[in-house]
This record gives sequence, C-alpha cells and structure tokens, in this order.
Amino acid sequence: MSRTAIAASGQSSDPGRTIFPSWLKASGRTLASFAVTLLGLAALTFFIGRLLPLDPVVAVLGDNVTQEAYQAMYKQLGLDQPLYVQFGRYIRGVLHLDFGMALTTGKPVMADIARVFPATIELASVAIVIGTSLGIPLGVLSAMYRGSWLDQIVRVVGLIGYSAPNFWLGLMGLVLFYATLGWVGGPGRIDFTYEFDLEPVTGFLLIDSLLAGNWEMFGNAVSHIILPASILAFSSLAYISRMTRSFMMEQLSQEYVVTARVKGLSWARTVWGHAFRNIAVQVVTVVALSYAFLLEGAVLTETVFAWPGFGRYLTNALLAGDMNAVVGCTLLVGVIFVTLNLLCDLLYRVFDPRTR
Amino acid sequence: MTNRNDVTGTKRRSAGRRLLSAAAVAALCAGAGAAFAATPKNALVMAWNVDAISTFDPAQVGEVVTNEILQNTCDTLVDFDPADERKVQPSFAERWDVSPDRKEITFHLHKGAKFPSGNPVTAEDVAWSLHRVVKLNFGNAATLTEFGFTKDNVEQTIVAGDNTVTFKLDKPYPTTLVLQSIAANRVSMVMDRKTLMANEQGSDLGNKYLATRTACVGPYKLTRWNAGESIVLEANDGYWGKAPGLKRILIRHVAEPGTQRLLLSQGDVDVARDLTPEDLKDLEGSKDVSIVKVLRPQLFYWGFNVADGPFSKEKVRLAMRYLIDYEGLGKTVMTYLGVPRASFAQLGAVGALDAKEGQPFKLDLDKAKQLLTEAGYSNGFEASVLFGTLPHANPIAQSVQQNAAKVGVKLSLERMANAQLFSKVRGREYQSAMLAWQTNVPDAHGNASRLVFNPDNRPEAKQTQYPSWRSAYQDLDLNKKVDEALLEPDPAKRDALYATLQKDVMAKGPMAFMFQMNNVAGVRKDLKAWTWNGFRAYYELAAK
Repeated sequence: MSRTAIAASGQSSDPGRTIFPSWLKASGRTLASFAVTLLGLAALTFFIGRLLPLDPVVAVLGDNVTQEAYQAMYKQLGLDQPLYVQFGRYIRGVLHLDFGMALTTGKPVMADIARVFPATIELASVAIVIGTSLGIPLGVLSAMYRGSWLDQIVRVVGLIGYSAPNFWLGLMGLVLFYATLGWVGGPGRIDFTYEFDLEPVTGFLLIDSLLAGNWEMFGNAVSHIILPASILAFSSLAYISRMTRSFMMEQLSQEYVVTARVKGLSWARTVWGHAFRNIAVQVVTVVALSYAFLLEGAVLTETVFAWPGFGRYLTNALLAGDMNAVVGCTLLVGVIFVTLNLLCDLLYRVFDPRTR
Repeated sequence: MTNRNDVTGTKRRSAGRRLLSAAAVAALCAGAGAAFAATPKNALVMAWNVDAISTFDPAQVGEVVTNEILQNTCDTLVDFDPADERKVQPSFAERWDVSPDRKEITFHLHKGAKFPSGNPVTAEDVAWSLHRVVKLNFGNAATLTEFGFTKDNVEQTIVAGDNTVTFKLDKPYPTTLVLQSIAANRVSMVMDRKTLMANEQGSDLGNKYLATRTACVGPYKLTRWNAGESIVLEANDGYWGKAPGLKRILIRHVAEPGTQRLLLSQGDVDVARDLTPEDLKDLEGSKDVSIVKVLRPQLFYWGFNVADGPFSKEKVRLAMRYLIDYEGLGKTVMTYLGVPRASFAQLGAVGALDAKEGQPFKLDLDKAKQLLTEAGYSNGFEASVLFGTLPHANPIAQSVQQNAAKVGVKLSLERMANAQLFSKVRGREYQSAMLAWQTNVPDAHGNASRLVFNPDNRPEAKQTQYPSWRSAYQDLDLNKKVDEALLEPDPAKRDALYATLQKDVMAKGPMAFMFQMNNVAGVRKDLKAWTWNGFRAYYELAAK
C-alpha cells in the first residue's frame, strides 16, 4: 500500500509521521495560515494605528475639552498602558468576537459592521453579477472576433471603465438616469417612504422586502441599487472582460482549437465547450478578486449614492482616528480575501481535475 | 473548412443585435422598477452630513449636528427667541425670578409634564440633569464651572424646590448671560433621571445609555438613529407644549453636496444642509428652491503660536492681518459661507462691534511689509500653516500664502485630518494654524472667556480648552478687562468695555480672525416656516 493510501485510510505504518490523515493536515495548515495572516494583519494595523498622529480622545470628546477630562478619557480608553498590553487586550477581545466600541458611533464595532456590511454585500453582489454576466461574454466575444468593431467597442468600454473615476460616473449617472430621465431611484438604499415600513431581518433590503412580500418596496429597492451597482459593475466588467479576452486569445491559438475546427466542430462549440473550460480557473480567480475589491468597499460610490456601506464606515473611522473600528474592518477585509482565496482553491479542484 | 473571418462577420452582426436588445431590456426593466415618492406631507425630510454623531448625551455632545437634534428633542429651561437670538424666552421654565444682588435665579417649572417613558418630570430631574453635567466633567462641564459651579458645590448651588430650581451664583453675573449660557444651553436639558439611573453602568450616570438614544422631554423624540445612515424624530404625543407642525423629521445622511443638490432639486428632500457655494449659486434662481442663510456664532481664524519665533512679536501678528484678502475671499470662496470678521465677538452678540468697526483690515502689502520691517523681519521669514478638511480652508490658506510670498514670508501649507490638527494645536505643536471656533453664547463674553482670557499660560498647566493657551498667549491686562466686562452691571458701560477689548485684541491678539460663518441651506418652497437663527433650528415650527 502506498503511503498516500495509508494516510488517506487513516492507518499508519509510521506513527511518527502519518498519524493524521492528509486532508486533516492540509486543513490544519490552512487554518494555521489563516490565523497567522489575521494576527499579522491585526498587529500591523493596530501598531500603525497607534503611530498615526490621530487622537482618539479628541474623536470622543471633541476639541473643546479640559485636560482633566482628556486625561480621564485617555485612561478609560486604556491608552495609558504600554502598546503590547493594549494589543494583548485587543486580541483577547477579538478572540471573544469583541472588537471594542467604535468611538465614532458609540456602538460595538461588531454591531456597526453587522449593520453596514449587508449594504455593501448587497451592492457588491449585484455589481459582480452584472459585471460577470456581461464581462465574460464580452471578453470571449472580443477574443473570438479580435480586431472587429465589437472588439474595439469592448476595448474602449474597458478603457473608460478603468480610467473614469467612479465618483464622476456616479454623479453623471445620477444626473442622467435619476434627475433627468427618472428611470432609477435616487441616492440611498430605498425611498424614505418605505424605509420605516420594513423591519430588518437579514439586513439585505432586496431579501427583506421579498420576505415581507412587499413587491412595491422590492421594486423601489431595485430601482435604488441598479445605478450604483451598474457603476461599480462597469469597472469590474472592464477588468473581467479584458482578462477573459487575454486568456481566451491564448487558448484560441492552441493546436487543439485548430484540431477541433478541422474535425468539424462549430466555432461556438469549440470556444464555449472547450476553450472556455480551460480558462475557467483563471476567470474564477479574476471574478473572485473583483468581488473581493467590491466587498472591501467602494468608498466613492457609496459616498455619491449615500449608500450606508462598509467602505464609507471604514474611511470615516480612519479619518476620525477610531482605531477599534479601523482594526475591526481591516480584519474583516483580511477574512474576506483569505476566504475568497480558499474558495478559489476549492473551485480550482472543481474546474481543473489536475489539482484534485 | 469554414473561413474564420466569414464566421466572424456573421457573428458580429448577430452579437451586436443581441447586445442592443439586452441594453434596451435592461433600461426598460430599470425604468419599470423605479417608483418615486415626494416627501410625505406630514414630514420634514432633510439631507445632511451627520457623520459626526457619536452620542446623544448633552453632557458630552460638542458638535453642531447632535446639538441641533437635541435642541429639538430635549427642552432646556429657557430658549433663544427665534427672531432675535440675543433674547431668551420661557421654555421648560415658565418664568424666573432674580434676587436683588443678581446672585440667585429661581426658575418656575411647568407642571404635569411627562417624559416619553411615562415618568413625571420633576424639579429634582432638572437639578440632577445639571449636576450630572458637572460630575461627568466632559467639555460641556466648563459651561457651568465658568460660573462657579464645581463638583464639590453643585448640589448646594443648584437646588430643587417646590417645582422650582434655583441657581446660587458665586458672583453677580449678568442675568441675561447666565440665561443664555446655561439655561438655554444643552447643559440644562431636562433628563429622565429614573431611566438613566436604571441603566447606569458603573458610575456613568447613564452616559453609555445615551450613546445611542435620548431620555428627555421635548416636542420630538428620537425614534431611530442608524449611524451614518438616517435619523428619525417623531412628534412626542404627550408633549406638554404646543404640538409640532409636522409629525416626523427624517434626516438622511448624505455626505456628498452634489448628491444633496440632486435630491433637493428632485423634491426627494425638503432641506439640504451642506451645499457648496457653486450649488447654492446655481439654485439661487430656482423656482422650487430657496437659499436661506443666517449668521452663526462660528469664527474661522488664523491662530499663531506666540511661544517663540516671529509670531511672538505683536507687529508680525498685525502684519499677518494685512495679508488676508478679506474682501476678495468674501466675494469668491466665502460667498454664501460667511462674512469678513476680524473681531473675536461675533456679529449679533451682545457687546460686539458692528460690521465696519469689527473688520478694519484690508489686504495691504505695503503696510504688512512696513510692520515686518519694524518687527525686525525686513527679509521675511519661513513658517508653516496647518489646516484641516474644511472645504474653504485650503483656498484661504493658499491666498494668504501667495500674498505672504510677496512680502518675503514663505508659508508652507500642511493639510491634515481634523483630529490630527486639533491634537497638534492642543499640544502647541505648531507655528500657525487655520481652524474654526464656535461659542454657545450670543454675548461677547462667550469668546472673550476662551479666546482672550488665559488663566495659566505655563505649558504644564495644560489649559487646553482655552485657545488662548493653545496660542501660548497670556496678557494679564486683557484677562483683567475680560473679568471687568463680565461683571459690569451697566449694559452701556459693558458694551464700551467690550469695544475696547475687541480693538486691543485685533491689534495684538494671537489670532487673526477672518470670517464669521453662515448657516446656509437649500429649502424647498413648499416647506413653510423653516425657522432658524445662529443658535438653533426650530423643527417644531416647520409646516407644509
């Protein structure tokens, strides 16, 4: 029996080396790597935060405060303790899922994140669906018809998507589609009229309005999300379509494509049935990365559209010197990236038999 | 074998058609999904940048947004007259008596009022609310300690009686000043003692409980606050006073002025609070929107650290005032935002110099050069100017920098986050800085007591709540004049004392005051009676 087989079966001929099954070892390694990454991220953000010349006491008490009150709050926030003690306390809290209180909102950081993150997930998810569903076909078509007018249009659209600031696109989009044409809802997640008729269940307005069976409200939420999601999708689309085109071009120059065509396979079937399968792994990575960037928070889009999301929360916290919120958000971003990387690894196994 | 280019041609046309169809369908779907609503008839909807809210505890609140919300949800003992902020009118106190020696003020309270919790409002609640401000000792405690109330004596000097509350003062302060400073201030907001004490954590007197809610009595009650998202105030049905004109006040957090403008133009909000001068100018002729503005008691100034270096010399500081293009900036950058003002006493305050006397400076490079030469800096000098994220700070700093360069003064500009700016200025770690200061009192004493008076200039004294200390500036003669003006019983003589003080400070003080700021907003014309002055907005008076 080979060693791999022994390990897989959980039996061991060499207790010192193969006491754990390989999948367990792999999972352990992944978890350890996960933990070390997050610890490093927390340490880096925490210590950089303490080095920044931003005063958390002023963030809490304001500028017009006596030195006595200042010192009392300084002590209350634990800032009089050595940095390593502060960090130790912080990590102890994190292990209990307590990220401390956000100085700028007076609420626990976890509660704040739980409130703002669904808004960002909802926006990013709609955006990535739009970006992916348009970006991949456009990328493939561009590669198929390289140099054609379609390719040129996709290239120009990609260039605009890359280079035009979302802030500007957002404002222009609002002026055109909201103020002039009236096709979409304005800034915010929903009209004020509806906002108070809905008790949040999941925090996702599209889902909550459906759960409530309120189709009118659902339509209103869709009308509000469609524009910011499309603006965000535009830059994702640009990235996804360019990368897909590049991957596909490489495939289309392979000999197996010529062979398939010689054997009489249709062009569409050759591309979608064979070449696309071979670039699926790379495309998944690109989509996952795009999604991660969207989840990280599109600060400018959220600002223009008065979207109460994660990116804006993090930026405000940073500018106010609210380091509990900043470190909490940074850890979350780290978790998102690491998790999406893990998911990518899993998807590799689905799409690419060689990695199984 | 099929020619690949032929295939491309066919597919190209087909793909183009499909794309166009998809785009048309997407557009139709989006259009069909849109559902719009004008603002509700019984509600005031406002777009405002409300990021700064971090607590609703009146003992701790120090910024304008929360202050305004509290003013509409929590009654104070007296209130500013909407038409003339220098006058006070009864609020939770129906009337007040003053002892002949001016050292006791007795407030007679409304009877039968109840908090939204159902608890009755008592004189003990009123007195306790004031005590807790002093005991908690946040920045707002200074509003009371400046008048002699301390942690040790406050329970004996602010006393509840038979439906009355009496202030026992250590000095015969002007009664109007006490009413404006304390009785109309958030420190006298009547808090629900039973609710707060039932939710006390440690000995915080309900401070943490108030981080996300209110517990007081007023025409409106706070029913929802989602940080960075929205605020909802509902009319307080059991309110003892007149019922407000509108049932709900809905405030949506909108940080971007351009977005606020769009919402206002579309009629999705009734009031937009953070419009830029460009937006305001464009909206000026609108048939649907009015631009309303009112002076507020906030001054934008250029402060100098006089501990050492060129700014320690009076003539250098005076020269800097002649480098400010008050008129040019007033007509450009500061249109709508504010008016030129060189005096520390804001326009509209008791004792303030009028607009002309309170702003005697103009851009005069020759005069500046002459003063620099007299100060021993004929070749100029180098210095830094710190400023924060206020939108007008950058262009003003640049204008001053350009003018200064013409007389040999090289100013380096450093922009930073406000929290960083405050830290540096509070720590005296700067040469000069441009920032804003706001008083809570429509009386010259409000600013004289902080911007001129400095009780102890030693670095270790850390009198950081005094901008005068932050400038390392102490003039014992001016200190004396501040005290003298404060206690002068004759209003005419008091005005004269403040006039002298203002002129002295304009000549040698550590701050070159530049502009007094406006409250400015775009208001839909179908909203009636939007009422405000420099000290508060009166939501309860608005109607549709």
